[in-house]
Amino acid sequence: MKLNEVRQNIDLIDSKILKLLNDRMEQGLLAKRFKEQIEDSAREQEVLEQVNNNPNALIESEFSESIYKLIFAFSKKLQARELCLTGFQGEHGAYSEEAVRHYNREYVTIPCTTFNEVFEGVNSGLYDFGIVPVENTLGGNVGPVNELLINTDLRIIGAIDMPVHHSLLTAPGTDYREIREVYSHSQALSQCRCFLSRNNLTPIPYYDTAGAAKMLAETKPRGAACIASKLAAELYNLEVIKERVEDLGSNRTRFLLLAKSNQECESSKCSIVFTTEHKAGALFGVLRLFAEAGINLTRIESIPNEPGDYSYFIDFDGSNKEQVVLDTLDKVEKQTTGLKILGFYDEKKVEG
Amino acid sequence: MGNLKLVQLAENGKRTKIKVGSVMIGEGLVIVGGPCGVESEKQTLKTAEAVKTGGGMMFRGGAFKPRTSPYDFQGLGLEGLKLLARARENTGLPIVTEVIDPRDVSWVCEFADILQIGARNMQNFSLLREVGKTGKPVLLKRGMYSTLKEWLNCAEYILAEGNPNVILCERGIRTFETYTRNTLDLSMVPAVKELTHLPIFIDPSHGTGKLSLIEKMSLAAVAAGADGLLLEVHCNPSEAKSDADQQLTPDQFAALVKKITKLSRFMDEKLFKTSIITGGDQI
Repeated sequence: MKLNEVRQNIDLIDSKILKLLNDRMEQGLLAKRFKEQIEDSAREQEVLEQVNNNPNALIESEFSESIYKLIFAFSKKLQARELCLTGFQGEHGAYSEEAVRHYNREYVTIPCTTFNEVFEGVNSGLYDFGIVPVENTLGGNVGPVNELLINTDLRIIGAIDMPVHHSLLTAPGTDYREIREVYSHSQALSQCRCFLSRNNLTPIPYYDTAGAAKMLAETKPRGAACIASKLAAELYNLEVIKERVEDLGSNRTRFLLLAKSNQECESSKCSIVFTTEHKAGALFGVLRLFAEAGINLTRIESIPNEPGDYSYFIDFDGSNKEQVVLDTLDKVEKQTTGLKILGFYDEKKVEG
Repeated sequence: MGNLKLVQLAENGKRTKIKVGSVMIGEGLVIVGGPCGVESEKQTLKTAEAVKTGGGMMFRGGAFKPRTSPYDFQGLGLEGLKLLARARENTGLPIVTEVIDPRDVSWVCEFADILQIGARNMQNFSLLREVGKTGKPVLLKRGMYSTLKEWLNCAEYILAEGNPNVILCERGIRTFETYTRNTLDLSMVPAVKELTHLPIFIDPSHGTGKLSLIEKMSLAAVAAGADGLLLEVHCNPSEAKSDADQQLTPDQFAALVKKITKLSRFMDEKLFKTSIITGGDQI
């Protein structure tokens, strides 16, 4: 082993330490949601005891205690700030997290394993907001999200329409000529199908793009790469082999920002979901109301509830300040069985 | 000439034209400029800018360098390819770069517009087959010890794999002459034209290896009917890691392009387009 190899290991460990510190701060912020007050000296004492009893040979208790006191102090400082927590599905570096940053850089992003966890977290008040992808230009609609929108009572308070650029990443030191397998979310893999086949690479589906990046950094499988964002490359200390490996230049994903209740904000769009009676012209009758009011529809999606029975999603241009919109919704309510107004909100379009 | 069924000029005299970016090869003179090797970000981007300003239509630079000695600078590899792609982003000039290893072909394709097969690899048949499978334009340099027949057979290898986009490039051959680095065989321009439908470029930088000879040989190449010129340009030739003695400064390049362009326009006259004496070898 040479000095530069040792230093490479040190760099890797440092990036892990920082990552873990960040994860710990996140947990502190979540704990705050269950506590009356920030200060809890009994709990601090408990943690310190655990830390002092650690079996690591080189870590003396004086050292660990001083570090942990710093950690407590910073964690309490963060808890004192009224930070907005936003849940997203995936690991840090996921595209959903990038979307949150486009919406508001101040929001703290908390990773969740499933979409369900995002919805539940917002519903229970653990998170202030949740962000979920709803459709992609290449991959189509994100089914589970639409189902959760129907079955839960969250409100849409914002949308972000964002370009998605994928990069091919490897663990540092991997020879690009030895890459055989590429890990990523199946949506991302399908968006780079031509690139993969041109270079004889085998796509391997993984639960998340950034999760694949994390796995690559931790386990360093031989001959493997992943497709994820450039942000993921920075977070997990990976090397960018090639940027923009997506097959279509205009690859975009639309994300929805969710909250437990409606927010007072400027709105230019509205999302609704409804079901209709099973009779001729029922859906047409609803669509006609929008046409007659001169309201532009931006998305229509039908999701099966039971065989032969559908829920319809409609997004349209309009604000809750416009009388014609409110009147039309009144009429729609009479024509449908079960109308749910998911929210009036503003949509942010990110260029590039 | 052997079995050159795909390379040989057809009865109808139709010539190959290759569109690369906004440049049409085989239709007017194409000037390609750039350093021998991609050495650093600054050198690459600065030289690319100079090539563009000087009137160059494509940018060249080697990320993989096949060097005489294994201890010489071997190129930046993948990093070099990324820098070339950056140069294209900045200038809009298509990128010509050499590939020396069949395992690199698909990756070089990801970053470059034209794949160059260097003189030392002209008869590397597995490499020729690999670039033949890609469909990317290939600039096939003549080996320094190769006959015209051997050279054209190598082009035939690429076409036989299904890639019709081949550009031949004469870069000088070994003779007993020592004053010049190589002997630039300009007779290849009309020879290639009468035998094949493929475009032919001339590389006077390697062809002479002497800065003082490059201008005159460039003009001679244009007079002979070459479709393009490959010129080595470096933003600071004295600091170049390879071929320091044959790289033009940006000013020299710009002045040369001016002269070449003027002669090229003159040569476009119909009088020079047709030959007075015909009757070459049949393939």
